[in-house]
Amino acid sequence: MSGKDWIIVIVLLIVGLLIGYFAAGPGKTTTVTVTQTSVKTVTVTQTAGAPPPPTTTKTTTTQPKAQMKTPADTLIIAMDTSDAVSMDPARAYEFTSCFVVNQLYDKLVDFELPDLVNVKPEVAEKWEISKDGKVWTFHIRKGIKFASGNPLTADDVVYSLQRVIKLKQTASWVLTQFVSTPEQIEKVDDYTVRITLDKPVAPSFFLATLTFTTSAVVDKQVVEAHAKNGDMGSDWMTDHSAGSGPFVLEKWDREAEIVLKANPYYWKPGQPAVKKVIIKHVPEPTDQLLLIKKGDVDIATDLTAEQVKQVEGTPGINVIKVERTHIVYLGMNVAVKPLDKEEVRDAIRYCIDYDGIINDILLGAAIKWQTVIPKGLLGANPKTPYKKDVAKAKELLAKAGVPNGFTIELTTPPTYPQIDIATKIQADLAECGIKVKIVQMTQSEMYEKYRKQGLQLVLAGWGSDYPDPDNNAKAFGDYRVKQLAWRNSWYDDHAADLAEKAAVEFDNNKRKQMYLELTDYILDHGPYAILYQTLAQHVARDYVKNYLPDPTFFLEDLSKVSKAGGS
Amino acid sequence: MDLKTYILRRLALMVFVLFGIIVITFIVSHVIPADPIGAILGPQAPPELVEKVRREWGFDKPLPEQFVDYIINLLHGNLGKSIRTNKPVAEDLIRFFPATIELATAAMIVAIAIGIPLGIISAIKKDKWPDHISRIFALMGVSMPVFWLGLILLFVLYYQLGIFPGPGRLDPGIEAPPRITGILTLDSLITGNFEAFTNAVWHLILPSFVLGYYASASITRITRTSLLEVMTQDFIRTARAKGLPERVVLFRHALRNALIPTTTVIGMAYGSLLEGAILTETIFAWPGLGRYSTGAFLSVDFLAVMGSTLLIAVIYSVANLVVDILYAFLDPRIRYA
Repeated sequence: MSGKDWIIVIVLLIVGLLIGYFAAGPGKTTTVTVTQTSVKTVTVTQTAGAPPPPTTTKTTTTQPKAQMKTPADTLIIAMDTSDAVSMDPARAYEFTSCFVVNQLYDKLVDFELPDLVNVKPEVAEKWEISKDGKVWTFHIRKGIKFASGNPLTADDVVYSLQRVIKLKQTASWVLTQFVSTPEQIEKVDDYTVRITLDKPVAPSFFLATLTFTTSAVVDKQVVEAHAKNGDMGSDWMTDHSAGSGPFVLEKWDREAEIVLKANPYYWKPGQPAVKKVIIKHVPEPTDQLLLIKKGDVDIATDLTAEQVKQVEGTPGINVIKVERTHIVYLGMNVAVKPLDKEEVRDAIRYCIDYDGIINDILLGAAIKWQTVIPKGLLGANPKTPYKKDVAKAKELLAKAGVPNGFTIELTTPPTYPQIDIATKIQADLAECGIKVKIVQMTQSEMYEKYRKQGLQLVLAGWGSDYPDPDNNAKAFGDYRVKQLAWRNSWYDDHAADLAEKAAVEFDNNKRKQMYLELTDYILDHGPYAILYQTLAQHVARDYVKNYLPDPTFFLEDLSKVSKAGGS
Repeated sequence: MDLKTYILRRLALMVFVLFGIIVITFIVSHVIPADPIGAILGPQAPPELVEKVRREWGFDKPLPEQFVDYIINLLHGNLGKSIRTNKPVAEDLIRFFPATIELATAAMIVAIAIGIPLGIISAIKKDKWPDHISRIFALMGVSMPVFWLGLILLFVLYYQLGIFPGPGRLDPGIEAPPRITGILTLDSLITGNFEAFTNAVWHLILPSFVLGYYASASITRITRTSLLEVMTQDFIRTARAKGLPERVVLFRHALRNALIPTTTVIGMAYGSLLEGAILTETIFAWPGLGRYSTGAFLSVDFLAVMGSTLLIAVIYSVANLVVDILYAFLDPRIRYA
């Protein structure tokens, strides 16, 4: 072959490679500027009763400010939004949907993070409760306007709550557990609403459920204008908003981005602090890491614990940690012998190396917590009596009549870190003579079996639907509600009665005492080994101010978040 | 048999293939012991609610009845509703498929642009260093995990050097063109939005390179093998004996014949790229079919699983057919029988 032909082939190759390369014109060249900036890790701790301001655990002060690459009036968040289904408050029940809905609407009452104990007024300025605790009268704040310019009145509040009950979507149970028919919600006058409960409950309990996004107030006129086939506007509301919250839903391009813009009529002065919020759908944590390090996004919410460790100490980046109302536990089905013996369950609790799980597997993305009501809520019990003690565990096993241990199945979803934790528990229990066989199942398969009491040991988690202890107390303690206690065949009437009584206790102090008693009781007798409480670890550029990750999944408030140097 | 009859016969056969696929997918997705409703409602949902929702979706009916319902709906062009997104499956597929078409097509261009020249070099310089280099290059393409290559490219070319943009289809702040085809580069061209066009193309380069490089390996190999085989044949010797320049022998005589097997490989590779490349799509935050169908599989979203499988089956069948038809243009000796 001659040299000429060679040239042709090479040119072909080069042209091929360059076609794509230069199709878009010359490449942008970016100089990477390294500036010395402040590094800090902020840890926010919630305490029942009196929430302290965020505490800074580590701060090194250096100047100057990091360069801001993103626009000063636009907040850009990298988040995995693949779970989002609908932005209709009557429908939203997933992390992303509730996160967004909470920016678009005001609710009757709200929590102000990081406080998860004292409910604050929002649309309702004040409220009264009848003596029997059944009739609630809410006084609506005057002067609130929707993004459409319409004033918010009692009609809108009544319509919104009735709409949730009538549409009967998944999340509606949060409201219908107290208010089963639409007629129980009535307008008294233009700025007064009366709600009659089915039966009295603890006031703090009912108020806490009202902070969930199902009680978001929608603009009746706008919603009705888009209703079709009796759907009360639900189809349209999937990707539009009709609220009075700090932001308006400008665009939801599924699997790409959710864009919010400031509501010009928002009633709280000076808010929202940014004009626009872009929630970019970035499913891959490594991408989120690159984007935040590069400064192309302001906040990243889904970094892995390893990546969080990696960015800790990076100039210009803050790591903000908040305890989530989510606990991870090992469930022990009491119907499976020998788990029916309390000593055996206690022995298992003494076999597990909790610190090892938190520090070595989760790399610190959790705190040690051993009772069933998570830290931050009313009645949270900080006792942590269990630590790895093989001798004690063996003694308990001997007492229970199984000195040589036994064989048992542990079911876990095939995901990380669950598999690592299951393997760790397997090794820990082996030291006590208990042979664990790990069974992996997809989450959906696992819960199908779990609901039918069909598992032996199970590694699972529980997040609160609303920040009230009842959500956890009943699930873990009351077998009659057919949740976790039932799934683990733990039919304990004392715990069930206590959970039910606490749910209707009017005196908050007494209620707190009851939960402390219940959590103590479950700690000793229950069918669980609580492994840890998870930490939300969000990462933000240091010019982002007032950003607090949400310990739940529907309380995030971006209205005060600003960017230094922003408008 | 003429071409028209051939195509009609193939299309008729396709119906049977698709029916078989529907039956198998239906059975597999329904007998696995997982609970789609539970997956959607989450671990907290009370049992009454799970039952209620199950009834609403018709999952409490016997399996044969569900199957007949599905087929009847399908014949009416109704793919059903996704449990996960609460939207009609057809609407979902229309939303996610264009992004995949865009990426797959760009990747195919890259694959051909790399694969064929490399295959030619390999063949004409058999067992010499250009051959070794191009074969190693091709081998790297198949053996490098795409997520790894993708992350490395993002790390170096986006994070470190800042030459290419980060994951996603457009920079934040760039207004997307109104949706016409769903293919961003095309839509922005149609609407004359050149800023969006440039940005979209720029965003397309890395993911299409990652995917295309992977697909180019098989193209390189098949081009090399078949070119080597053709070069040993009598008509090549005759052409050389006539005194034709080597260039003419290679490009006009040898390559045209050698490209027939390559066409098959390209057709099949395009088919598999259109399936959606889950890993590439995830790493580059590319909202395509791969992500949609994987999400559907993981949450046991029956109807979405059925819908996307059906779409993929149609793509494969059509790709096969197109390849067979292309044969006739490349080689007039081939007749349809």
